[in-house]
Amino acid sequence: MLRVEGIEAGYGGLPVLKELTLAIERNEAVALIGANGAGKSTLVRAICGLLPLAAGRILQDGREIQRLPAHERTRHGIAVVLEARHLFGELTVRNNLELAAAHGERHGTAQRKFHLDDVIELFPFLRTRLDAAVQLLSGGEQQMVAIARALLLQPELLILDEPSTGLSPKVVREIVGALATLRSGGMSILLVEQNVALAVETADRAYVMALGAIVRELDAAAWKSVLGDETLLQAYLGS
Amino acid sequence: MNGTLLLQSVIVGITNGFVYALVGLGIAVVFRGTRIINAMQGEFSLVGGLVAFVVVEQLGWPLGVAAVSGVLAGGVVGFAMEWLLVRPTRRRGVGEESYLLLTLGVAFAISAAVLYFIGRDTRSLPGIGGEGSALVFDAAIRHHAIWLVVLSSAVMLLLRLFYDRTRIGLSMMAASIDEEGAATIGINVPLMRSLSFLLGGLVGGLAGVLVSPLVTIHYEMGLLLTLKGFAAAILGGLLNPFGAVVGGVTLGLIESLAVLSVSSGYKDVVAMTLLIVIMIILPNGILGRGSRKGG
Ligand SMILES: Nc1ncnc2c1ncn2[C@@H]1O[C@H](COP(=O)(O)OP(=O)(O)O)[C@@H](O)[C@H]1O
Ligand SMILES: [Mg+2]
Repeated sequence: MLRVEGIEAGYGGLPVLKELTLAIERNEAVALIGANGAGKSTLVRAICGLLPLAAGRILQDGREIQRLPAHERTRHGIAVVLEARHLFGELTVRNNLELAAAHGERHGTAQRKFHLDDVIELFPFLRTRLDAAVQLLSGGEQQMVAIARALLLQPELLILDEPSTGLSPKVVREIVGALATLRSGGMSILLVEQNVALAVETADRAYVMALGAIVRELDAAAWKSVLGDETLLQAYLGS
Repeated sequence: MNGTLLLQSVIVGITNGFVYALVGLGIAVVFRGTRIINAMQGEFSLVGGLVAFVVVEQLGWPLGVAAVSGVLAGGVVGFAMEWLLVRPTRRRGVGEESYLLLTLGVAFAISAAVLYFIGRDTRSLPGIGGEGSALVFDAAIRHHAIWLVVLSSAVMLLLRLFYDRTRIGLSMMAASIDEEGAATIGINVPLMRSLSFLLGGLVGGLAGVLVSPLVTIHYEMGLLLTLKGFAAAILGGLLNPFGAVVGGVTLGLIESLAVLSVSSGYKDVVAMTLLIVIMIILPNGILGRGSRKGG
């Protein structure tokens, strides 16, 4: 479904991503792991159009999208939850969600549509907080609003950049649970995570990233036993 | 002090205050949507007033048509400004402070163009509702002043509803609060910026149409209006939708009461001095902290 082919990108002439290639098939959940500073977030920003490419192609269902501005890429079935969430703090939860829903209704490509009720079912706390300003919510609640907002774009592929960072174990469980529900509904997922133990629960296979490139590809078998692979964890994650 | 005279000054102060509020509101609209301090807001009013004048006096069309033309002219100038100058400048990645210089430069250019093509003559529009007045305790209120207050209040309320209730208004807010967040949910952020300038231009054009029966249209009016409107917006808090009204009316009252106590030649000096004092005492505007909070 999504193919990233030999992309190069960076900040102000400083290259970060170097000839990076990866692919995600329909109905797959893929993890992207790697140490801090490996370039994971840079890759996410390049895929969703917030960072221009210096070289390479990005194809979504065979169509080149790398020249489209970010707001048009959402019409090709990709929704992203950025590392810093980028919610509209002064607006209410409802407004945050409705803005995405309005866009998703017109341009979403998903077979199975998400409605406000569906995301409330996924994250029940939303029901009572719809009219609160987002900036008044806790970090965990904000993360869930960010995921709900992305889902209302009606994507086929959901990209999440470290959704568990800084959240309490209870909230992390809730998010992992929601991702499992989405998986069983057929959503494709690219999960960027430093926490390998968490990523294993969601993803079917993984890419390992270091210094702006994919350095290892772990198939389902290798990925399942990754937690026992001390050398790999040492080498690429410093853990 | 004579009571009627005092009341008359209060009426004048409130009337002018609503003009400053409208100009300030236009500045706030542009600032809220683009984070640009628009030093040519008053120029939208100059153009709007002039176009309305040409339509009503030279083409002889009805005042209503002239007023609408003036408002639209302000919008066109606002949109063109963003499209032709702000957007290419942004693409070059300049800092926010450059836009102040850019808009100030365009303000002087428009002012100079008006001087060149139209000269130093002053013109004025007929008042809405005719030239009559209503009497309140012996003080006269021009019908136009009543229309001015009613129309500007209506516009302020409509703008409020627009930002709170409509999808496009909310998208404009979202784009200004978090550009990247907006882009990733499919909002065309550059378009929202153009619309903010368009809206600022429309409000500016309206201010021009409403002020031109009160003060004459002349090539220098833009910068003075910008200054007063900016003072109103700052006084009320740039991001509070009703801030500009509070700030504008405060400024208008200070000015008109200053004329009562000192000679009218000093009214701008007194008003601006008091303004500086207020800003030192209340750095977050009259409405306090919340009013300045942004995204
Ligand atoms: N906005 C930026 N400007 C300049 N360099 C950046 C910026 N963001 C990230 N980098 C650099 O790019 C590299 C990759 O960062 P990032 O993609 O955030 O890594 P990760 O998400 O894997 O932790 C790092 O060396 C980081 O310092
Ligand atoms: Mg990161």
